[in-house]
Amino acid sequence: MNAIETTDLTRYYGALCAVDHLTLSVNNEIFALLGPNGSGKTTTVLMLTTLLTPTEGSASVCGHDVMREGELVRKSLSYVPQDMAVDIKLTGRENVRFFADLYGVPHAADRVDEALAVMELTDRADDLIRTYSGGMRRRLELAQALVHEPSVLFLDEPTIGLDVAARKRIWEHIRALRKKGMTVFVTTHYMDEADQFCDRVGIISRGRIAALGTPAELKARLMKDVITVKVEGSFAPLEVDGIAFVGRNGDEVSFTAENGREALPLLADALGKSGCVVRSMSLREPTLDDVFLQAVGQQEEPQGFEYNKFRIMLRRRK
Amino acid sequence: MNGVVSYMKRDFTKWFRGRVAVISALIMPAAWLIFVGLALPVQFTGNYLDFITPGILVMTMLSAGLSGGALLMFDKILGFLNRFLALPTPRSSILVGKILFITGRGLIQTTIILVIALLIGATLLSPVQYGLTYFILFLFGVLISAFATTIALYLEDHDSYAAFNTMISMPLFFTSSALMPYSVMPSWLATIAHLNPLSYAIDAVRDVTAGGFPAGPVLVLLILTGAVLAICMHVFRKVTV
Ligand SMILES: Nc1ncnc2c1ncn2[C@@H]1O[C@H](COP(=O)(O)OP(=O)(O)OP(=O)(O)O)[C@@H](O)[C@H]1O
Ligand SMILES: [Mg+2]
Repeated sequence: MNAIETTDLTRYYGALCAVDHLTLSVNNEIFALLGPNGSGKTTTVLMLTTLLTPTEGSASVCGHDVMREGELVRKSLSYVPQDMAVDIKLTGRENVRFFADLYGVPHAADRVDEALAVMELTDRADDLIRTYSGGMRRRLELAQALVHEPSVLFLDEPTIGLDVAARKRIWEHIRALRKKGMTVFVTTHYMDEADQFCDRVGIISRGRIAALGTPAELKARLMKDVITVKVEGSFAPLEVDGIAFVGRNGDEVSFTAENGREALPLLADALGKSGCVVRSMSLREPTLDDVFLQAVGQQEEPQGFEYNKFRIMLRRRK
Repeated sequence: MNGVVSYMKRDFTKWFRGRVAVISALIMPAAWLIFVGLALPVQFTGNYLDFITPGILVMTMLSAGLSGGALLMFDKILGFLNRFLALPTPRSSILVGKILFITGRGLIQTTIILVIALLIGATLLSPVQYGLTYFILFLFGVLISAFATTIALYLEDHDSYAAFNTMISMPLFFTSSALMPYSVMPSWLATIAHLNPLSYAIDAVRDVTAGGFPAGPVLVLLILTGAVLAICMHVFRKVTV
């Protein structure tokens, strides 16, 4: 029995298909659902945690059907939503104790101390949350989720808005939980985090799984080297032997090749002939970003949120 | 049961830590008592303060109950509700916890109003009469808070909840028997007042203060509260976001 199993899980909001026939199985691992804003990550988590009824398909958590056996499903999971929700008028200890009581854990006081200690909050445990930083609040939410030792932990963007050090700590905690045998289902749109810390990754785009596998497998689907070219003017996809087009992101076009050094001049030539101006070229190893770009296909512009425009806007502000 | 106590404890702790809110909810009913109860020249009774006190007590409970619905609204907006709904704790205990907190808070507030009324000259009653009064107020509090909390579950945001609150609280109060007996009301108002659930609570408390036992109004209140509670519990068990 897998910890999480979904079959053709689908959810419509009106006419909008937020999650489109998702079929997944996750067991004893850190699984990351990776995708851009609005790709359906939160919607998936809401259905798996019984907060939202699927339009179609089915899902189970620890063998219990999310629609028919809601209470059993909720007994086996903990869920930390995307938006932080901790009571700022209560202390850290009170917040965790509150959840311990709701879960009805035995020896609550000891479990609370333990959970606070794991999240390194012991010395601030009796301060009001009002005085906590964002990273501390996130760790507190994790402590709340962990008081009852769930078999499956759902974390919706656990590291959003945190600095690099705090993100790393959260991930170390998540890894430690995984070692204890917990199944962790996280969503994120940070490719590097998924790459570094997760056992398996599902890339989701517009509600569909576009690629699924371990980060290493996914990267191995590309050839050994990735060449990124900054171009100006029009770019038409072109065919060069031994070089494969990956995708385009703004003015950056990516290719992969088995031997990048040899491919560089060939590519420069071909691009020049096709009439576009090459500003710079760089050679590196594939990352999940490239996998993403290839899987999701030629996204003309990152949907909804245009980073380049945003950057220009920021520059104008200064 | 565990869940109910935990949810209620959380709300009480938060309430006691926000000192301003503890006082501010009392300003309105206290003002009514003092400025209307003491100052209004009326002919139909010699002691208007004694007449209006039951109305003000119920009004205090009404506004405590209606403003209590905002608690669930905030839990929803701030994302707490999502976390609670994902817990194995029965979902109906969210509702029951809210009802007990809101009603408990209302009873504390009505006690303060009662003390103020006594201080400015209302007649002291017997312990049994106070016991009955509290029972009626509790029943009414459960009715209003269950209703308000369930409405909040369905409204979009806090603004629409605030609009709902103002839209129903004033009309309910003015079309009840709070301010005058049915005998001096114009007949159209008397008809509405007889249908208003607020009137049943007020009439019941008034009967108690006059030394009687209000079997009729209490029965109506019991049935109404039971029915509303059953519906609201059902709604909460089924809720999804
Ligand atoms: N309550 C809702 N009503 C209507 N549409 C919704 C609702 N919630 C989400 N959507 C839509 O469903 C799609 C998927 O949303 P979802 O919140 O699952 O995305 P996400 O992957 O979690 O994005 P993000 O990274 O921004 O959190 C989006 O297009 C969104 O606009
Ligand atoms: Mg999301």
